[in-house]
Amino acid sequence: MSAAWKSAGLTYNRYLTIASRVVRRSLKDDKRLAAERRGESDLRFAKWENGKQGEAKSLNQANESGFAQAAQSS
Amino acid sequence: MNAFRVARAARPAFNTLRAVQRRGYADVAADKIQLSLALPHQAIYKSQDVTQVNIPAESGEMGILASHVPAIEQLKPGLVEIIEEAGGSKQFFLSGGFATVQPGSKLSINAVEGYALEDFSAEAVKNQIAEAQKIAGGSGSEQDIAEAKIELEVLESLQAVLK
Repeated sequence: MSAAWKSAGLTYNRYLTIASRVVRRSLKDDKRLAAERRGESDLRFAKWENGKQGEAKSLNQANESGFAQAAQSS
Repeated sequence: MNAFRVARAARPAFNTLRAVQRRGYADVAADKIQLSLALPHQAIYKSQDVTQVNIPAESGEMGILASHVPAIEQLKPGLVEIIEEAGGSKQFFLSGGFATVQPGSKLSINAVEGYALEDFSAEAVKNQIAEAQKIAGGSGSEQDIAEAKIELEVLESLQAVLK
């Protein structure tokens, strides 16, 4: 039997991110405010082709659309 | 002169005492397990000797004592209970991760988030359950529903231990 998140096309990393996010949101206010900042990330990447930099994209957005595609195809 | 004689007489006793007390770097007392409980931002336990650790493994709840066979267990989001040397116990809710039992009574638990039960707000859990249930039963994308179901699993386990 494989886990529900796996059959939905999510990665283990994504599963852990969601589980930790919900744990942080369940904390009492003072701890929550300090903890929630840990869940934030902002990374950009660009693909280089023929020596030229492509468009810089947000990693989080690219991940979101990637997961959505994986969920549809599963 | 007299004091010198006393010191000499005391020395053999001192030597045997030291031999008994000396412990190698990696040794653990026979009936203890050396626990490291680490989060990316904090180490809750750093190679501390404890009596027993109960973990919510994916394959079922399990209690780990000294001299456990080496094992790697994936953890469900749930409660870890640590029975300390002095007899008291501590409970932490972990968001999921891995527990590794190494030879020589060593246990490493790695998780992304972990907090003591008193740090959680029952009200926040209740509100989030209502919200997640709405999404899980709604007509959102498959991914949204899958994510809401994961949230529900965590929240329900959290609500069960908060009671």
